[in-house]
Amino acid sequence: MRREPRSVDYLPDPRPDVGTGRTPPAPGRQAILLASLSVGALLLAMQLWLLTVALELYLNGNDDNGIWVLAGLSGLVVVGGGLVLRMLARRARLRW
Amino acid sequence: MSRIPGRDYRQQLAEEEPWRQQFPYHWDADEAVTRREFVRFAVLTSGALFVGTVVLGILGKLDSRKRTKRQLIMKVGELEPGHAKYFHYPNSGDQAMILRLNDGSYAAYSQKCTHLSCAVYYQPKENTLHCPCHEGYFDPVTGEPTAGPPQRRLPRITVEEQGGNLYATEMNP
Ligand code: FES
Repeated sequence: MRREPRSVDYLPDPRPDVGTGRTPPAPGRQAILLASLSVGALLLAMQLWLLTVALELYLNGNDDNGIWVLAGLSGLVVVGGGLVLRMLARRARLRW
Repeated sequence: MSRIPGRDYRQQLAEEEPWRQQFPYHWDADEAVTRREFVRFAVLTSGALFVGTVVLGILGKLDSRKRTKRQLIMKVGELEPGHAKYFHYPNSGDQAMILRLNDGSYAAYSQKCTHLSCAVYYQPKENTLHCPCHEGYFDPVTGEPTAGPPQRRLPRITVEEQGGNLYATEMNP
């Protein structure tokens, strides 16, 4: 039978960051993290722009390979993001 | 709140702050987004944008949106300069128009406005193509938009003369 959780179960653990899975950035790394986030956001915005340009080309009926060039650029961003994700996962594994 | 040594801190909190009984939500259970989760979400979004671009590329290859069909429009000279004839091309539901421009040459376009698909009409006095829905204007010689909301040119129909007749042969978006 499932036990109803007691309120005490939900009380905060007094140790900082225990149970949240979060590690606060080291003092000097905060700026690096913010910069990386900004670059990521910028790349996403660029991909959105590439998509709109591709749509424009498609609607104009351009038969050349313009859309594929745009898709290639967009793909590079995805691959870059995937690599960053892998790197983060590996670093987290090493830390444990 | 000061911690009493030797006592279970959680128990102490529960007893001293009764509101915790009413709102028993541990911040662990909150919707905390870790940095890695955030990056994963960003990569997924990025992947979706990439897939969207690829889909457009594939659609562009599958359907070049160029329509080829030979269809009689009218006899040469049936139309006076500065007049237009409206017909259907390439399918019976697709409105199109052929213009006899003031200089005597012909130009043919789809009548569908590239803004929101209203019908476009030739106005020979102003030498323009006019879409009354949102006051869109196109150049009758090139089909390019000249004013108003439309951003793309009108699909152009290729016209061929043969045996005293004019034929529509192809429509290019
Ligand atoms: S539909 Fe033609 S201008 Fe809007």
